[in-house]
Amino acid sequence: MQMKSYQYLWIAGLLIISAACTKDFVEVSPKGQFLTENYYADEAQVYSALIGVYDVLRKNSGGFENMISMMNAGSDDHVAGGGGATDGAGIQGFSNYTLNQTIMPGSFWNDHYQGIFRANTLLSKLPNTTMDAAAKARVEGETKTLRAYYYFNLVRMFRNVPLILEPLSAANMYTVKQASPEEVYAQIEKDLAEAVVVLPPTVNLSTEAGRLTKGAAQAIFGKVLLYQNKGAQAAAQFAEVNGQPGSTSQYGYRLLSNFADMWVTDNKFNSEFILECAHTSAGNSDWGWWGSSADEGNSLNVMVGPRSYSRPAGSSAPDLPSGWSFNVFTQDFYDAIKDDPRFEATVFDLKALSENGQADYIPGYEDTGYFLNKFLPRRSDVRTGGGALELNYRQNTPIIRLADTYLMEAEALGGTGARAQALLDAVRARVGLPSIPVSMTAIKAERRLELAGEGHRFFDLVRWGDAATRLASRGFTANKNEVFPIPLAELQGTLLEQNPGY
Amino acid sequence: MRLSKTLFFLLFLFAGLVASAQRNVSGVLTDSKTSEPLIGANVLVKGSGIGTITDVDGSWSLSVPDGYSVLVFSYTGYAEKEMTIGAADRVVNVSLDQGALLDEVIVVGYGIQKKSVVTGAISSIRTKDLERVPSARVEQSLQGRVAGVTIAQNSGQPGSPSTIRIRGITTFGGAGNNPLWVIDGVVVDAGGIGYLNQSDIESIEVLKDAASAAIYGTRAATGVILVTTKRGAEGKFNVSYNGFMGSSSPERVLTMLNASQYAALLNERSTAGGGELIFPSVNQGTGTDWQKEVFNYNARRYSHELSVSGGNAKSSFYVSAGLQDQQGIVATEISNFNRTSFRLNSTHKISDVFTFGQTLGYSHQRAVGIGATDEFGGVLSSAVNLDPTTPVVVTDPALANTAPYSVNPVVRDDAGNPYGISSLVGQEMRNPLAYIQTRLGSYDWADDIVGNAYLQAAITDNITVKSSVGIKRAYWGGVGFTPVFYLSATSQTSQNSYGKSENKVFNWNLENTIAYNKQFGDHNLAVLLGQGAYVENIGGGIGTTLFNLPVNSYEDASFNFDIPASSRTTSSYDMVEHRVSSLFSRVNYNYREKYLFTGIIRRDGSSRFGANNKYGVFPSVSLGWVLTNEDFWTPNKVLSNLKIRGGYGVVGNDAIRDFGYLATVAGGFNYTLGNSGIITTGYSPTSLDNPDLRWEETSQANIGFEAELFGNLSLNVDLFNKTTTGILRPINIPGYVGVSSAPVGNVADMENKGIELELGYRKSIGEVNISANGSFSYLKNEVTFVASDATFIVGDASFQSMGAVTRTAVGQPYNAFYGFQTNGIFQNEAEIAAYASADGTPIQPNARPGDFKWVDTNRDGVITEDDKTFLGSNLPKYTFGLTINLDYKGFDFMVFTQGAGGNKIFQGLRRLDIGNANYQTVALSRWTGEGTSNTFPRLTSNDTNGNFGRMSDFYLENGDYARIKLVQLGYTLPTSISRKITSSKIRFYITGENLFTITKYTGYDPEIGGGVFGIDKGFYPQARSFIGGVQVQF
Repeated sequence: MQMKSYQYLWIAGLLIISAACTKDFVEVSPKGQFLTENYYADEAQVYSALIGVYDVLRKNSGGFENMISMMNAGSDDHVAGGGGATDGAGIQGFSNYTLNQTIMPGSFWNDHYQGIFRANTLLSKLPNTTMDAAAKARVEGETKTLRAYYYFNLVRMFRNVPLILEPLSAANMYTVKQASPEEVYAQIEKDLAEAVVVLPPTVNLSTEAGRLTKGAAQAIFGKVLLYQNKGAQAAAQFAEVNGQPGSTSQYGYRLLSNFADMWVTDNKFNSEFILECAHTSAGNSDWGWWGSSADEGNSLNVMVGPRSYSRPAGSSAPDLPSGWSFNVFTQDFYDAIKDDPRFEATVFDLKALSENGQADYIPGYEDTGYFLNKFLPRRSDVRTGGGALELNYRQNTPIIRLADTYLMEAEALGGTGARAQALLDAVRARVGLPSIPVSMTAIKAERRLELAGEGHRFFDLVRWGDAATRLASRGFTANKNEVFPIPLAELQGTLLEQNPGY
Repeated sequence: MRLSKTLFFLLFLFAGLVASAQRNVSGVLTDSKTSEPLIGANVLVKGSGIGTITDVDGSWSLSVPDGYSVLVFSYTGYAEKEMTIGAADRVVNVSLDQGALLDEVIVVGYGIQKKSVVTGAISSIRTKDLERVPSARVEQSLQGRVAGVTIAQNSGQPGSPSTIRIRGITTFGGAGNNPLWVIDGVVVDAGGIGYLNQSDIESIEVLKDAASAAIYGTRAATGVILVTTKRGAEGKFNVSYNGFMGSSSPERVLTMLNASQYAALLNERSTAGGGELIFPSVNQGTGTDWQKEVFNYNARRYSHELSVSGGNAKSSFYVSAGLQDQQGIVATEISNFNRTSFRLNSTHKISDVFTFGQTLGYSHQRAVGIGATDEFGGVLSSAVNLDPTTPVVVTDPALANTAPYSVNPVVRDDAGNPYGISSLVGQEMRNPLAYIQTRLGSYDWADDIVGNAYLQAAITDNITVKSSVGIKRAYWGGVGFTPVFYLSATSQTSQNSYGKSENKVFNWNLENTIAYNKQFGDHNLAVLLGQGAYVENIGGGIGTTLFNLPVNSYEDASFNFDIPASSRTTSSYDMVEHRVSSLFSRVNYNYREKYLFTGIIRRDGSSRFGANNKYGVFPSVSLGWVLTNEDFWTPNKVLSNLKIRGGYGVVGNDAIRDFGYLATVAGGFNYTLGNSGIITTGYSPTSLDNPDLRWEETSQANIGFEAELFGNLSLNVDLFNKTTTGILRPINIPGYVGVSSAPVGNVADMENKGIELELGYRKSIGEVNISANGSFSYLKNEVTFVASDATFIVGDASFQSMGAVTRTAVGQPYNAFYGFQTNGIFQNEAEIAAYASADGTPIQPNARPGDFKWVDTNRDGVITEDDKTFLGSNLPKYTFGLTINLDYKGFDFMVFTQGAGGNKIFQGLRRLDIGNANYQTVALSRWTGEGTSNTFPRLTSNDTNGNFGRMSDFYLENGDYARIKLVQLGYTLPTSISRKITSSKIRFYITGENLFTITKYTGYDPEIGGGVFGIDKGFYPQARSFIGGVQVQF
């Protein structure tokens, strides 16, 4: 009996030894994820990969380093604001034109290239996927449109960027060189031209809202052409998007009758938004992954809210959650818009409310008291589920909207002619303004007021060649500050060269 | 069957030691030199389980059963002696030889070795060193006692772990630098050793050099700490109780500006920046002392430990139970710790061949923590930054009826008055007393079970086979309630929530060894062959949070409320198993204990590496020469022992993330499609693959000697050079590659060089016995290579908008502080104009008097980011400790001093981006005009010079300190009294802990651990405690 139990022990021990000695013992395979070589096998996996490419659209207004707040900060309509002179070195540096390669936030570069990497990977895998040909063509069209849009942002922001169309590997990643802007634009045009012919004119809004349509691709295409001074080609694309000014276009686009309705959170995917960045509170975003791929909240909202906002009892001021005081409007912009019908929807005049004792707040850095009302955090949007309430606002933000394409088409037409006049008039008429003679000057003024705070102004000034004059007082240096410095990390050990002047 | 019976009767056996025929033997036990009686020594009838303890005059008496004839005499610090007694002997007087240190054995990993023939650098700590330290966690008791080990508290939060670095920084990253803990043969992660009860520990051995640590191959690069718990001894039945109670308070508080001073400085700051006066009148009184509000000057702590041990010729056991409770000194309501522990260790001689042994430790821990201890809302950070003009509680009804108090769910005290909310200092800063109210009812808990069992067979006299299984099963989790609250505009909730998480993990290992020991004449040979399998991280966890409970107090909160699915969140995860498979071997050889040799080789396979490099081989060799055993050596009183030893070895480190070598496609790249805001999960490759990922290797050369001088001074000196090559870390690949997580690569090399010194001294002057133990170590850490993808690596420590404040580059210590260098303050415009480049252009044209003069380190005539330079190391260059023991008759006295230095501390207590944050009183000596200060710049809200906004040496302070860590005075009752209550020893003691710290550091505590040492953003300081206790032995 006694010996027997020892024998069992020894046998058990030996069994475990033999188990441990097999070659497989130290092989642990990953679970909850897939190996790259096995993925992209069917339509479901391809769709998931496509969503991964869409993910980067979030950059427009998601995360602290988002396109809208950054691009606003460097324009003449806004300052960076925030809590102090050091609250966000990158956004402050762009606002006062001290941006350099060290403080340039890398994510404006990296995030777009992440989208491009995912697009390149998907495009390289797609031919071997078993799925319906039409569905595959649509995925390919969407992927190319997204890749084009990401390159468009990169070339506008950094001008001299590497043009990468295949996934890189450890072997070739340090031999990449920058392409000329012309090469990049040529690829963008190629991708868009191929996409436009396969994308559907409309999508089912309840399930697919946000997926790219032919109209969205054409709007991007028109914009891309406009930035290259290809006015006629641009106008042709825009014309298909815009249709008869003031009416519903062939894709169903139509100006909202009430300008302020665009900034109502629940008005997602309205008839004016051609391409928008979607947000939701359902992601329970939290500080730990703020601004990452899994963060689905709108960060712009909390950023532009006033700090420590409060109202006395009986106040007429709106009930707002507090924010961080970024992107306050400049006095110059306030003066330009103060008598415009769009003033109230655009500017939250906390200065006046505070002076009248209707509300109180702690002034942030470079405070003017004029807050960006289009994107203010709303009390009704405060999160009632998990995650940090600051990070779970859910307002969608427009990337391209119809009034934008109207004005871009008018610009592409050289700012003259009956159609340009009609396009300008339609934008003005919507807010009850009378017609004025169309001209580049009129179009520029209209764009400034219509699209204020939506992140377009800096690019517009650069495109028009007005940046050096309008931004001189901010420290803008011509032939340098038109583009960002390339982040330092990109130059280390690579063949990339810094942009001139940095 | 027999086995379980043995276990069953274990606790009762000692009572049944009745012999049939016996004879009484008695005698007196004395010191061989002094002839003094030895009190409390053990006398044992070998093989019978019968024993006794000598009394106050050294006398003893025993009943020796027939058939037994050998008595064993033992006493701490003396060589054990066996006496064979004749059948007729009735009186046996014996004397023992003192100072038998050379026969001391130490644990070396998979076995023990005589200290005299050890060739590696191993430091050990014994029970007697530990039993006087009232530590909650075992790491603390190593501090200052082992040369070459740098230890710093992560937080003064009770139960909080410490950061331990053996011989410097071995690799990059925080967790990868933790040493390997092996508790009775079971590998336990560094965070998991909190379950150990300190008084259960028999010894701790620290394997410092590669030559001794190589036996743990893969994971030994950062050093190995072996902990052996107590076992019962044959014939020695012992019941021991140790209990203490005490009170803790902060060792020091900061002096902050009072309300009037604050108002004056804030006005000055605002107007200097072109703003308006913030306070029309600066007569604000003294205002609120926030520190006083959060510190507890009488935080209680107590501990009870009871152990029973004993054994007979067949079985021995050790059973203990402990209870420990400690309140924190900061926000005590939400800072306390409680641990219950239990241990059962036993050994059984099944037959002449087989021995079975086991250890089992269990503990339950419950900890309440203050939450964030950083600059984003930490309690201390709030106490330092909040303005003194805000009241703790608003008692003025007029004010309490205005916004924000009237319109928000503010937190109120018992009287219904709202806690004050600052209108000047916003962001994450919040009234700490109100904050405490919002965290009540939240706690973390952990249950740990760690044990092992072995079966050992002495197959022949020379060959022993041993199989051992170790397990760790741990459960941990937390419960937290967050009410609806409004602490400030930026710290508020709109709904309550109640969450809990539960996690579990199972680790096991199996080790089989064959040991062969043989003496061939003058040649002694010991060979060990072994095989091991290690599996960790079998487990996972779940968590759930309910929102909008129909109650708003933690006392009423329950998971039984019926909460709709839309107001619940859940999360869960599986752990990724980590597996290691090993073969190892060790050869020890010595010739007459004169020439010593140890060779170790270990081969490990790890699941964390790619197919191309799954296995690694780690060899080591060490040699020793005991001069004093040479024939030519004339024994003398000056030098009684001298051993010179040296070794070289290679060890590994696989503390990297799982699947670092694979390119996987994972979820989490999500986007929201459709009108209803539904998130669609997107998939993407996360990284590039690297199938060639290889072992990081740490090679180490060690030379040292051990000496005994004058018969009472021991000296142990080691010099080492540790080089880590192919350090594994995420590679900084260009962003245009487009992967969201960087692949892991072997990208850097680092070197640690140092000197270690351990001293022991013992002397008796009359009836006064003095002993002293000292340790000193010096360390130089330097990065020697960074792969070509970067000239530097962005550091791991950051501060708000400054970003990284450390940087890793060749020629510098790992994570060296990096920033601008100041060169005084411009006193006037002339100095600004005079500070010019060669062509006369002012270097800081926009500076104003009172601004810092930045050093133009690259001499390009302008101050840019490129002028940042290295400003010092976060890791202490030297550490030391000194214990002095005195005893006289029944009194004993101990003082333990410990310290570190040569490092810098980043003093980031004041928030940069909160202009209105309060200042320490050092701001009173700021620059206010020519000649007023050359170190503290002017205050302005428009800090265009970046005086405060830039990372510079302004934020760095000297980290040198020396601390009176422990002072203890004890008194042992004479045995004549204690025996009256049948006790063998009764000792009373009082202890003072962290009594005094000598340092120039201006924060709370210069001892700051963590992934990067010395980053103070509101660090929870260690407490000063006064303790009274009693030890009783039966």
